[in-house]
Amino acid sequence: MNAYLNLLIGLAIGLNLLALGSSRLPSLINAVAVQGMALGAMPFLLEEHINWMVALVACATVAVKGFVIPILLRRAMRTANIEREVVPSIGYVPSLLLGAGGTIAAVAFARTLPLLPEHAGSLLVPGSLASVLTGFVLLIGRSKAISQVCGYLILENGIYLFGLLLIHATPLLVEAGILLDLTVGVFVIGIIVDRIQRAFDSLDTRKLTVLRE
Amino acid sequence: MSPGSWLLGGALGHLAGMLASRRASRLWLPATLAGTVAALVAALLILGGDSPWDWRSGFSVAGDPLHLRLDGLSAFFLVLVTIVVGGGAVYSRAYWTDAAHPRSAAAGRAWWNALALSLGFVLVAANGLHFLLGWELFTLAAYFLITLDRQRGEVRAAGWLYLGASHVGTLALFAFFAGLAAQTGGWELGPMRERTELAPLFWLALFGFGLKSGMFPLHIWLPSAHANAPSHVSAILSGVTIKLGIYGLARFTGWLPVPAAAGWTIAILGVASAVLGVAFALGQHDLKRLLAYHSVENIGIILIGLGFAVVAAGQGTDAAGWGQLALAGGLLHVWNHGLFKALLFLGAGSVLHATGTREMSRLGGLWRAMPWTASLFGLGAIAISGLPPLNGFVSEWLVYLGLFDATRSAGPVAWAVVPAAILLGMTGALALACFVKVCGVVFLGAPRSAAAAHAHECGPAMRGPMLLLAGGCVAIGLAPVWVWPAVAQAVGTWAPAWAGLAAPPSLAVLGWTHLALAALAVTGVVALRRRTGRQPVPRHVTWDCGYAAPAARMQYTAGSFAAIITEWFDWILRPVRHAQAPDTPFPAQASCTSHTPETVLEHVVTPVGGAVMRLSAAARRLQHGRLEAYLLYLLVGIAALAVIVATDVGQ
Repeated sequence: MNAYLNLLIGLAIGLNLLALGSSRLPSLINAVAVQGMALGAMPFLLEEHINWMVALVACATVAVKGFVIPILLRRAMRTANIEREVVPSIGYVPSLLLGAGGTIAAVAFARTLPLLPEHAGSLLVPGSLASVLTGFVLLIGRSKAISQVCGYLILENGIYLFGLLLIHATPLLVEAGILLDLTVGVFVIGIIVDRIQRAFDSLDTRKLTVLRE
Repeated sequence: MSPGSWLLGGALGHLAGMLASRRASRLWLPATLAGTVAALVAALLILGGDSPWDWRSGFSVAGDPLHLRLDGLSAFFLVLVTIVVGGGAVYSRAYWTDAAHPRSAAAGRAWWNALALSLGFVLVAANGLHFLLGWELFTLAAYFLITLDRQRGEVRAAGWLYLGASHVGTLALFAFFAGLAAQTGGWELGPMRERTELAPLFWLALFGFGLKSGMFPLHIWLPSAHANAPSHVSAILSGVTIKLGIYGLARFTGWLPVPAAAGWTIAILGVASAVLGVAFALGQHDLKRLLAYHSVENIGIILIGLGFAVVAAGQGTDAAGWGQLALAGGLLHVWNHGLFKALLFLGAGSVLHATGTREMSRLGGLWRAMPWTASLFGLGAIAISGLPPLNGFVSEWLVYLGLFDATRSAGPVAWAVVPAAILLGMTGALALACFVKVCGVVFLGAPRSAAAAHAHECGPAMRGPMLLLAGGCVAIGLAPVWVWPAVAQAVGTWAPAWAGLAAPPSLAVLGWTHLALAALAVTGVVALRRRTGRQPVPRHVTWDCGYAAPAARMQYTAGSFAAIITEWFDWILRPVRHAQAPDTPFPAQASCTSHTPETVLEHVVTPVGGAVMRLSAAARRLQHGRLEAYLLYLLVGIAALAVIVATDVGQ
């Protein structure tokens, strides 16, 4: 059981690195989508007896993270007519190095945390921390709005992974609320991306600083 | 009638004055004066021996029931407030008229009442929260009075500096009262000398009240505010509002325990204020600015008395004798300074009214045109210089008595009072030099400008308050025994162990000596008048070394008169001198100007403020609006937290 789970988490960590290293937006969106689906499947592996609520949340997660959000993002990408991140603030190789270093640091840090014995062997905590870090690196290092949304989604995936530790304690309503927030957030960003593109002729969020104050 | 109902009458009178200030300005003066007299009666009842008036309301204001208390100490200060408020109100009717100042005269009247009300409220409030409310209200009322003439840029700058500095002080007082409330569990104020854990709060009170009282080096706001305010406002600012800082210090050194160094600190700050205040005054060319620096000096004298009283209170019963005298001298000097400084500012106001300038180098020879103003100003100058037979000498002499008695006590006090007394004496001498300069330059000699040549005497409405204040100075000078019960009452309130203090026997002797001196002076003047009246005196130019065309420009200026003394204090005054010396036997052009800046403001506060601003501007660069960088800050913060958790620093 734990081995399969760790396999999935390993996959998620690999996808993190893929997201960090890809310059094309479609492959970034694909990486996020696959990672979302992998995460959505995890509750089935964690639970001995699947009750219908957990199943519902898992299915909804797979559907939203694997299909709804990527579709919204692809649509926004098409309307904005951009394919790649041209000048990232942090280059792809440094991002990869940061991501890899972050993952190692996450594993090291997770060892110092006082975890329950049943979580001690799993990669849940290091995977979660690594994803949060990856999300941060994407948010900080990329300038296109869509890449930043992807970074945000990976960060959220990391938080979700951490939340799996508490799967029994988190009510259904909270899970559903988080999912809904995400969807609406990406939906709104999809619209905003279009507006930014029309108003500024660019999707570079760095140029938005003229709007401060 | 009880003091409470008189006080209520006083408040109602001022409220009525406030309502009448705009629409029914004729009723303003009677209402204000009636209120002032009622408050004066209340204060005199308490000083006359009534038991302290204490009142709690059934309703609550801002969350606490109103608690008012008028005891010997607050009544002592209330007397000064009422006298100057009343005198200034009469003066302002002629000085700041609707005709001359249509935009600000009505507002000035309303704020005058507001200031009087808030001053009174601060004096009777016995609840920390309400004290702060009154304090803030009185700061704001004084700000609006200072900036009555706000069309002028320098007035706005002075008001702004006053407001800023006052709020720095208020901030310290907020911390003081909040700390007090946190440790006592309520905002209620009252004697709590036995709670020694409250002692460290004294430093906050010293900063907050010291800033308001204008002690050196917290006086930075004082000269410009007092110089630029209308003169009746300067009179109340200098005569009364800075005394509220003294009131705060006296009140809370009396009610609360103080740290061991408190008395020494107050006394040292007092000596510094006294000597440096008069040194700065000597360097001034602006009549009102010069008077403002003398306020710093006199606050110093008061603080010397208060400081040594606090030292004595900490030393037990042996020190009571000289402590009482020092405190009595300090407190009496509160009254005296309030009287003669208000008189001097009102006199400066009539000079300003008559000539339109405060620059001493444009005045001169006003004695002939303004005999009343000149003689009343001269009387104030004698009083402030601490010369017999006027009131300034009485209070300074009490402080001296206290200091001299202290030399017989044991411990370091005996040594410390000697330099204090010497410096106090030096202050008096320098003050005398300064006022010789003022009276000589402004009132004697020949007019230096057309404005001074066409000066006119002020009217009776301006002369009356000056006469009242001068009368107060003379009365305290000639009959110090009469005011002794009031002083003793205040001293007894400050330290209950010192209650029932009898007048030192030499006080009566001093009074008789003053009376004799005054009689001698009056006889001398009358005799001289008679002689000069019998033989008409021809007027000639003074001996002019054979130079045929003497001009008014050849007189001593304010700067040159004081040059020798100000050079002694160059190290702190930092005067700016521009001199173009004559270079040929027949010089075509030569000039010399000097200017004494506000050293603490320009060499300490401004650079420090500039550094803070530069630092803030640098820190503001972190706030650029780029989301990525903000996320980086977040990440750095989280990483730091993780490091703290991982390394167990937090535990």
